[in-house]
Amino acid sequence: MRILGISAHYHDSAAALLIDGVPVAAVEEERLSRHKNDAAFPLAAIAWCLESAGIEPGDLDAVVFYEKPMLKFARILTTVLRAFPRSRRAFVHAMRNALGEKVWVKGIITGELGVARDKVLFTQHHQAHAAAAFFSMPTERAAILTTDGVGEWATLTVGRGTRTPGGPSSLELLREVRFPHSLGLFYSAFTAFLGFPVNEGEYKVMGLASYGKPRFVEEVRRTIVRTADGAFRLALPYFDFQESARRSFGQGFIDLFGPPRDPYQPIDLATAEGARYADVAASAQAVLEEVLVDLARGLRLETGLSDLCLGGGVALNGCANARLLAESGFERLFVPSAPGDAGCALGAALYADRIHFGQPDRELPDHPFWGPVADGAELARIAAEDGLPLSKLAADGALYEEVAAALAAGEVIGWMDGALELGPRALGHRSILAAPHDARTRDRLNLHIKRREEFRPYAPAVPTELAERYFELPSGGARLGRFMSGVFPVRPEWRSRLAAVTHVDGTARVQTVDAAMAPRFHALLLAYGRQSGIPVLLNTSFNLAGEPIVNRAVEGYSTFRRCDMDRLVVGRVMVTRPRNAARQPEEAVA
Amino acid sequence: MLPARPGPSRPIEPAQSGRVLAPLHRWIWRDVDRRARKLIRFAETEAEGGRHIAHAAELTSDPLLRRLFLRHALDEERHAGLFRGRGLQLRRERMADRKTDTKTGFDADWLAPGERGLDRLQVGEMSEAALLAFLHLSEKAAAERFALYGQMLEDDPETGAVFGNVLRDEVFHMTYTRTQLTRVAPARDRRTLWRARAGRLWRAYLRIAGALAGLLGGIVLTVQYFLLLPLFAIAARRAARRETGGWSACPARDKGALESQY
Repeated sequence: MRILGISAHYHDSAAALLIDGVPVAAVEEERLSRHKNDAAFPLAAIAWCLESAGIEPGDLDAVVFYEKPMLKFARILTTVLRAFPRSRRAFVHAMRNALGEKVWVKGIITGELGVARDKVLFTQHHQAHAAAAFFSMPTERAAILTTDGVGEWATLTVGRGTRTPGGPSSLELLREVRFPHSLGLFYSAFTAFLGFPVNEGEYKVMGLASYGKPRFVEEVRRTIVRTADGAFRLALPYFDFQESARRSFGQGFIDLFGPPRDPYQPIDLATAEGARYADVAASAQAVLEEVLVDLARGLRLETGLSDLCLGGGVALNGCANARLLAESGFERLFVPSAPGDAGCALGAALYADRIHFGQPDRELPDHPFWGPVADGAELARIAAEDGLPLSKLAADGALYEEVAAALAAGEVIGWMDGALELGPRALGHRSILAAPHDARTRDRLNLHIKRREEFRPYAPAVPTELAERYFELPSGGARLGRFMSGVFPVRPEWRSRLAAVTHVDGTARVQTVDAAMAPRFHALLLAYGRQSGIPVLLNTSFNLAGEPIVNRAVEGYSTFRRCDMDRLVVGRVMVTRPRNAARQPEEAVA
Repeated sequence: MLPARPGPSRPIEPAQSGRVLAPLHRWIWRDVDRRARKLIRFAETEAEGGRHIAHAAELTSDPLLRRLFLRHALDEERHAGLFRGRGLQLRRERMADRKTDTKTGFDADWLAPGERGLDRLQVGEMSEAALLAFLHLSEKAAAERFALYGQMLEDDPETGAVFGNVLRDEVFHMTYTRTQLTRVAPARDRRTLWRARAGRLWRAYLRIAGALAGLLGGIVLTVQYFLLLPLFAIAARRAARRETGGWSACPARDKGALESQY
């Protein structure tokens, strides 16, 4: 069967193509359109998926959308009605928003792709999350926990799944927490309060939390109340998202935590205000973790299963994931590379294949590389046209040694290799790499390359088999590190030598690199280890502030030219930045 | 970061329309809080415009255009930094004097915009000639506006210097885009420019029409809100009172559930 999965219209649109039960292509729209967090209907992603498989829309057996648009519309309308008469602006905003495009999904799909109406299917939002989290992971029986802002009504679900190799599969969602009670929206309220953009700045809250003390924990607990049945509800007077399209938190929230941060003012952690923001972040993070751990413990006792699959945007919180692994009682924790809405495109297709059509289970490749392939020849052509120093290495071994030597000498390198990752993490195919030893490297990256807040940490990448030497990984930690989904302590004796990737609290969001998953990146790490003595590299996503991760070689080149990067490598082609170059020749032609 | 360019060979003068409205612009820029907000907004427009122009560099197959677009994108980013830096500095000074709060106000963006349109470029949908013509007109208009704004800020030489600095780059941008338009479309450069002018007018019309439609739509929806919703709102609120939070059972789904949008 040929099944196309689509997620769209809220954030991180994406498309994924499944052929005979196995993904063959998946990509976020933003990587092709070059608009960060592109929420538009993913025409470019769909076109690329179909083209890469050599099929036409008419060849598809089903097109599956990742949520039920009418059910979602009903929830939005109900929410507005409940807040009457304070929801006038929210009503106008919601109607314009929904009636413009979002409720006409079936028509858009049939119109744009020309497929028959009966081929268009709709999963529930959290079914798609659950399917992405379970069916794409190497486990046959697992408990499932999905949690995000909100789908249709559900904001959090628990369930379980089973797979029989070559046989039937099941995915059962046991119960759910419904809007407006939402862990994702709870965390987003703090994100907004701390002056970061909602749906994008949540990981900044997590980074900031490490600088603070959780002295507001009791206040945070007043905003999220545990219910007698073991779940939770939000204390709604503290929040505004259910009544306003513009504000996530209410006056009660401000009374508890003080004035919100002005988004335009930098956070100075040396001041009392800066410390308060960090303390609020630490407190919100602590409460999020304790609720998640408690829910997961209950699920573990209920199901008796040893594996937990985690889906939804909250699963991007690496600190919470690490605590779940350590304290929930589950032995293994699986988080896909794209647990957020982009991954729902794949999840929706998998759910339709395994559950709706009852297709037999297939083992899926355990990697995130489903996007377009970077072409070294393209870089060679462009660099030659621009007269930049270029080398084409005949063998991989020579490339690894040369790149490793440059990294050891303190250079910052753009590294593009093979197919693009699905999900927000660069896992060695679209990465900016640097030596992890010196905190000044981190400062250089923050100031001249990534241009981002100084409190945000950088991640280390390490070969899986060597990870425990440098990091305190619990049992199952390496699995969590496969897609950079967990934050773990750096061993104290290595912290000073891994200063650029060790966060203020002594932790790091480790990527454990498996030779079978990313052989070239793994080999580069080993080559760097031979030269520097430590096979660890700083790995951050290959993009500039406000831009999506690069996709094609030309986008890597454009990024390379616009920041202070030293080299760019695509496949076996390497371009070096000329130092002390003469004034740009293009000035003369103007 | 790139160095600033030397001044333009010929000074850029504000457009006639700008000179006529000079008193209005002087009033707009006199308010320091508004000045700070406008500079920060300009910064966002410049940064977004820079990203679009970088995207244009990634799409073109013309090596010279690629280099020029990359240079242009870097300039826009530098402008964003200049505007943001000055805007934040003004805010800090006002906040230190406790003369301001962080609320928004009337910014007169229609009358005194920044580099209008660059932040909404659809570079993938334009030919190179059309893009160059659009950029030329946008940069020319921006240069004239920034020259005017600089003249309005005699009492704030630091902000005036920011506009002067940006203006030098705008002159380079409007010059290179015109030169390159002649190179890539020698036989139809004037026609392309006229089309771009018509396109700007059309977009201005769409902006006005969109705003008007939005206003009318908002009025109609607001009337509906107060006329049609109250009874349903009472029912919805009663239903909400019965909800306590915590766990709910997942709705049972039959085999054909995926065919339903509900």
